[in-house]
Amino acid sequence: MRVKNYDVPGDLLYTKEHEWAKGSESVVKVGVTDYAAKTLNDVVYVSLPKVGERTVQSKTMGTVESIKAVSELYSPFSGVVTKVNDDLNSHPELVNKSPYGEGWLLELKPADFESESKNLLDADSYAKHLESTAHKE
Amino acid sequence: MFEFAGYDMPVWYTSITDEHLAVRNGCGVFDVSHMGRIRVTGADAGRLLDRLLPTNILSQSDAKAIYTIFLNERGGILDDLVVMKLSSDNYLAVVNAINTKADLKHVVENSQGLDASIQDVTESSAMVAVQGPESQRVLQPLVPLDLNELKRFRCVETQVMGQRSLVSRTGYTGEDGFEVIVYDTSEVNPTSALAIWEKVVETAKPCGLGARDSLRIEAGYPLYGAEIDAETNPVEADLAWVVSAGKTSYLGHEAIAEARGSTPARIRRGIVLERGIPRNGFEVLDNGTSQPVGKVTSGTFSPVLHKGIAMALIATERAELGERIRVRVRDSAVEGRVVKPPFYDEKIYGWKRLNNGK
Repeated sequence: MRVKNYDVPGDLLYTKEHEWAKGSESVVKVGVTDYAAKTLNDVVYVSLPKVGERTVQSKTMGTVESIKAVSELYSPFSGVVTKVNDDLNSHPELVNKSPYGEGWLLELKPADFESESKNLLDADSYAKHLESTAHKE
Repeated sequence: MFEFAGYDMPVWYTSITDEHLAVRNGCGVFDVSHMGRIRVTGADAGRLLDRLLPTNILSQSDAKAIYTIFLNERGGILDDLVVMKLSSDNYLAVVNAINTKADLKHVVENSQGLDASIQDVTESSAMVAVQGPESQRVLQPLVPLDLNELKRFRCVETQVMGQRSLVSRTGYTGEDGFEVIVYDTSEVNPTSALAIWEKVVETAKPCGLGARDSLRIEAGYPLYGAEIDAETNPVEADLAWVVSAGKTSYLGHEAIAEARGSTPARIRRGIVLERGIPRNGFEVLDNGTSQPVGKVTSGTFSPVLHKGIAMALIATERAELGERIRVRVRDSAVEGRVVKPPFYDEKIYGWKRLNNGK
């Protein structure tokens, strides 16, 4: 679906800080939403945890940066990082071009997918959150 | 849009990177009407400015655009500015927007007993910066004079699209370019300034505050409030060249003479990082011991170098050019090198590559 100018795919889970997550108890893929990418505009640098590092749900795990701004990345799930999108080293603009596709950030093995999912937003709830967030602009 | 010094201004129009590269490779245009513009006229106008500025004013010829600084008695920097010397009794000072009122007060307070008239003309004028190697090609059709005759750091009163204006070959990007002050226009009736803007953007890219900042950092230009402030003297700020040799009668002279008499404890330098982006306030660390030896004053990502770059105030003994240094970026102590800006290769970018630097 689209909320104002922003894409909100229906099959993802979301955080209030504009990250998305897709997966199951074996692996979860994580990225930032179209709203986050458009707000930052030109992403020029992405700082991600290394493979093997632990993440904690709703705690910071890295940054996505434009020339002017630093946006903290909050982990949607606790777990262990299994894969990192290395393309972003030389092509950080993929986050802008394709935030739900080639601009994915990392994959992790979640510690407790079932119960932690309940702390996240579904597409409709994220859309509502966006309505009020984007409304302030 | 973003609130800057009380003005509502765009951070970008399309993309900071695109706007930055447009200026380095072609032509970009900035609405800089927010900057303060103060007219100083009268028989003692030159004397007044000469007293307040460490740079020679009286001995300069007409039609010069002079980069300089206001100092306080302790030798700290109150503002940096460009003074356009139109004639010995007619000057226009362009100051930072955030300091317009304070600078005006400073000049007026020091003008007692002098035959000088001081006028804030910010609201009755507009200002547009046309910057980049193609900027002369963009501006030439709009002015009656041959811009080949207007050299760097020179200014002239002329017409732009028939509107009385002051054009100077100056800028804040490091590239060749012009700053156009359009007279007799106002927020209430900006028609003539808008007409000039609309004509220029037919061939130049509109650029916002984001690119303005990344360009001036790449060029190594200080920003008041970041590299320079009332607690920083020109020697520390690597602006000692602004203090004219042999000049002794200006506000702050004793403090400056003292500062020049010894090596400063800290000095402004550039830093290029291996990875990551340095930001204002990040600590600069000794490469071996990781002890703090300074602070980043401005940082950004250079679209030309594809690296994080910064200006920083560093303890002088760790500030040798080429010295290995580290910057604390969140949990990492990222490796970098001390350099002297500009950060770009001056054979490829910057105004000096054109016309053999004339």
